[in-house]
Amino acid sequence: MNLSLVDPFVLAQDCPEVIAGRLRSGHSTSIRFSHRGHLLASGRHDGIVVIFDIETNGVARKLRGHTRQVQSLSWSTNDRYLLSAGQDWKVVLWDLQDGSRVQTVRLQAAIFIAELHPKDHMVFVAALFEDQPVLVDMKDAKNHKPDIKQLPSAPRRSQMERENATEKQNAQDAKQTTTVTVFTPSGEHIIAGTNKGWLNIISTKKHEVLYSTRLTNNIIVFIRLTPSGRDAVINSSDRIVRTLHLPDLTNPKLDIDTLQLEVEHRFQDLVQKLSWNHVSFSSTGEYVTASTWMNHHIYVWERGQGSLVKILEGTKEELSAVEWHPFRPFIAAVGVDTGRIWLWSINQTQRWSALAPDFVEVEENHEYIEHEDEFDIQPLQEIHKRRLDQEDEEVDVLTIDPIKITTEFEAGDLGFRMPVLLDIEASDSEDEVVHIGAGQYRRKSPGTGREWMNDDEGGDAAGNGTTAVQNGTKRRRAG
Amino acid sequence: MEEPRNPSPKRPREDEDDYVDAIPRKRSASHSPNASPNYHLAERPARRYSRRSEDDSDTERRYYRERRTRSRSPSHTRSSHSRSSSPRTAAPPKPTALHYTPTLILHGHKKPISCVKFSPCGLWIASSSSDCTIKLWSALTGTLEHTLEGHLAGISILAWSPDSRLLASGSDDKSIRLWHTSTGLAHPTPLLGHHNYIYALAFSPQGNMLVSGSYDEAVFLWDVRAARVIHKIPAHSDPVSGVDFVRDGTLITSCSHDGLIRVWDTATGQCLRTLVHEDNAPVSSVVFSPNGKYVLAWTLDSCVRLWDYVEGKGKCVKTYQGHVNRKFSLSGTFGTYGADAPGKHQFAFIASGSEDCAVWLWDVSSKNVLQRLEGHAGAVLSVHTHPTEKAIVSAGVDRTVRVWRFKEPGPGTQRQDGVVEAALGQGVNGDGMNGVGGEQEHELPPYPFA
Repeated sequence: MNLSLVDPFVLAQDCPEVIAGRLRSGHSTSIRFSHRGHLLASGRHDGIVVIFDIETNGVARKLRGHTRQVQSLSWSTNDRYLLSAGQDWKVVLWDLQDGSRVQTVRLQAAIFIAELHPKDHMVFVAALFEDQPVLVDMKDAKNHKPDIKQLPSAPRRSQMERENATEKQNAQDAKQTTTVTVFTPSGEHIIAGTNKGWLNIISTKKHEVLYSTRLTNNIIVFIRLTPSGRDAVINSSDRIVRTLHLPDLTNPKLDIDTLQLEVEHRFQDLVQKLSWNHVSFSSTGEYVTASTWMNHHIYVWERGQGSLVKILEGTKEELSAVEWHPFRPFIAAVGVDTGRIWLWSINQTQRWSALAPDFVEVEENHEYIEHEDEFDIQPLQEIHKRRLDQEDEEVDVLTIDPIKITTEFEAGDLGFRMPVLLDIEASDSEDEVVHIGAGQYRRKSPGTGREWMNDDEGGDAAGNGTTAVQNGTKRRRAG
Repeated sequence: MEEPRNPSPKRPREDEDDYVDAIPRKRSASHSPNASPNYHLAERPARRYSRRSEDDSDTERRYYRERRTRSRSPSHTRSSHSRSSSPRTAAPPKPTALHYTPTLILHGHKKPISCVKFSPCGLWIASSSSDCTIKLWSALTGTLEHTLEGHLAGISILAWSPDSRLLASGSDDKSIRLWHTSTGLAHPTPLLGHHNYIYALAFSPQGNMLVSGSYDEAVFLWDVRAARVIHKIPAHSDPVSGVDFVRDGTLITSCSHDGLIRVWDTATGQCLRTLVHEDNAPVSSVVFSPNGKYVLAWTLDSCVRLWDYVEGKGKCVKTYQGHVNRKFSLSGTFGTYGADAPGKHQFAFIASGSEDCAVWLWDVSSKNVLQRLEGHAGAVLSVHTHPTEKAIVSAGVDRTVRVWRFKEPGPGTQRQDGVVEAALGQGVNGDGMNGVGGEQEHELPPYPFA
C-alpha cells in the first residue's frame, strides 16, 4: 500500500543498486525466497535450515534435521511447507506451522537439487549425483515408504536416429545422468538438464521424456524458470548463461514432436572468461542475474537487448547462490567465505518535503505570485463552515483494492502466516554475532540481552526487575 | 429519524455536526492558554480529569443556547443538501440509526481504564488500567480469565497480535511487555529502549513487528521475535500519542501532540507523508481505515478527522463532531453495519469515546450520528469493535468495561433491554417500525430544547 506514496522515480527503478544489509545465522550455503516474499529460507553448512523474516531481517524459525550441508531448498506454493535437500542424502519436508518434519526421505545418492511439485506439496522431483532423477510421492504416510519413481535421463531420439544408433551412442545415452530438474508451474512437466548438455522435457504423469534438445556439450548446472514458466535460464559449465523461451506446455494443441527450442540470449564474459556459480531471473523475467566464480561480482543482464546492465559489487567475497525477490527489486546472495547473506536493494532517500507539508521541492527558484484572495481576512466561522460543507464526498473505507503484484494469489490473500516465535535468536548459542541495527553486527559479549535477568534471577512470570532502577524517575501519580 | 415529539434531551441529533462546527474555534480560543500537549497527555489515565468540568459545561450550554436561536435555518439547508448528495442505492436502505444495547458490564479494575480491545479471534477482551494491571475477559460471558500483573506503572495501551496469542502492553514504566494470553504469563524479555512512557502500540499484520510511540517523541519499530529495535524514528517534536499499521504492513502512521500525523514506510523508516490541520490541535490517536486508504485521527479540539493521505498532499475528507474531547487521549475504531458481508450494502461507522460519558457512532460518509451509547459514569477513553460480530466494547474513567451488542429494532425488544435503552430508544424504535426509507424525506426535527 506504500506504492502510492513512494517517489515514482524510485518505483521506476527495477534493478537493485546498493547493498541494503546482511543477514547472518551460521554459515549459509543455499537460499530461497518464499513465494510471497516475506521469508527467506537459508540452508546452512551445519545442516540447519534457517528461515529469515525479510521485514525484520531476523531469524523467524530454525529447522534441525540434516546432519550435513543443505544443498537445495524449495517452497510449496502456499509457503507453508519447505523442502530441503542435504548432502546427507536426505530430503526433508518441513511444516512451518510448527516446524515439524512432515516427511523425511533418504535417497540412494547425493542430491543436486530437489524441487516441490507446485500443486502438491507431497510430491517432489530430485536430481541425483551419478544416478537417474527420481520423482517421489510422500503421500503414503501409513507405512512411511515413499513412492520413488525413476525418471529417464537419456534424450529422446527420433525413430530414424534410433535405428541408426551405434553401439557407442547407445552406451553414451545410457551413461547420461540428469544434473538438474525443475517443475513447470503447472506441475505437469519437468524440465531436466543432463551432464551431456541436453535439455529434456519429461512428463510428470508418464515418466517419459517428451522432448530433448542439445544446448551444449558441457554439463548443465542449473535451470530456473520464470513464474509464468515460459522462460528458462540455464547455466552450464561452458561459461555461458543461456535464456530460452519455452512453449506453453499445458496447451493441448502443442505438438511437442515438431517443437524447436531456440536459445534467446547467450550471456558470457568474453574478456575474463568468467564462469557462473548460480543464475536467477528477476521477478518479471526481465533481468538475469549470475554470481561469478572466483570473483566478487554479480552480473545483471536485461533480456530485451541482451545487454549487461549492471555489476553489483561491494562484497569482499565470492558469492554462490543468488536469488531475486519474487516481486521487489531486491537480491539476496550468499557469500562463500563467511556464509553471510548479502542483500541489495534500491537506494531510497528521504524526501524532506514529506516532512513539511507546506513546502514543495522545486528544481529552480520561482517568483511567487500571490492569489487574489490569499490574504483576505475571512471570519473563521465562515471558513470552518465552508470547509465542513465541502466534505460531502462519499468515502469508502471498507473496500479493499486487489493488489496488482500478487495476481497469482487471490486478492487479500496473505497466504500462510507463520506463527511468531519469541526469543528464537536468544535460544541460539551457536551464533557469536548479534544484530545491532539494519545490517550492523557486533560480536556478542557474554550476558548480552540478559540484563533483564539481573534483578530477578528467578525469571518469574511477572519479571518486574527491569524497571526497578527507573523508579526514581517514575511519574508522580495523582490519586 | 428523530420524531418531532421526542422529548429526550439526550437524543443524538441529526444536526449535531452543523451547530457544532464552530466549536473547535471557540474551544481553542478559550483553552489555548493551557492547551499544552504535555498537560493533556498526562491527563489520560484520569488524572484530575474533572478539573474544569463546571465552567466547561457552562460555556458549552451557553454556547448551545446561542447557536440554537441563531442558526436553525442554515443547518436545515445544509443537512438536507448533504443528504441528497449521498447516492441513494436500492434496497435495503441505508440504516440511519443503530441499536446497540448494553449486554455486559465488567467490574474489576481499581483505577480508570486506558485501553480496551477485542482480540482478533473475537474470544477475548483485554483491558488495561492505570492500576498497573491488564485484565483478560471472555468476550462472550464476561468472566475474568486472567489478570496480568507485572508492570510497575499505569498501562496506557494494548495491542493484540494478529493470531491472538500475544498481547503487548505499553506502560509508564517505559517498558513494553508481551503476554501469552493462553497462560496469562508475561514473556520474560520486555522490550526496553524507550526513554519515556510508552503511549502507543500496534502489531504488524504478520505479527512479526511491533511499532511503539512514546513520550520520548520517537517511534520505534521492533522485531517481536528478537525483542530488538529495527528502526528508531525521531518522528515528532512532542509525545507520540498514536501509531498504527496499514493492513498490508507496508505503512505506519503516527500522530503526536505536535499536531502532525505522519505516514512512514515500514521497510525504510522514511517519512512519506505529513498531514497537518491548520488549527494544529494536538492529535491524540490515529488509526488506518479497514481498507488502508484513509487515516482517522482524534484531535483535542473535539473533532475526529478522516484524512485521505494519498491524494495531493493529504486532504481532510471528513470531520466528525459532537463528542467532547479536550483533555483525554480518546480512541476509537471503525465498525460496519448494514449487510453482514462486505459489499455494496455494508456501511462503515466510526466509534469513538467521549468525555460526555457516551460512546458516539457516526456514519462515515454522511457524518450523521447513528447512536450514542450511554451508560458510562465517566469519560469513555477507549472503544473497540468486535472483529466479526456486531459488538462494541468501551471503557473509561468509571473503571468499568461495557460490552454493547447490536439488536435489530423490533416491537417489544426495546422494552426488555433495561434502563439505558429506555433512555434513548423510543424515537429510534418508532422509526424502525415506520420504515427507514421514507424517513429520508423528513425535515429535520425541531430541536428539543427550542
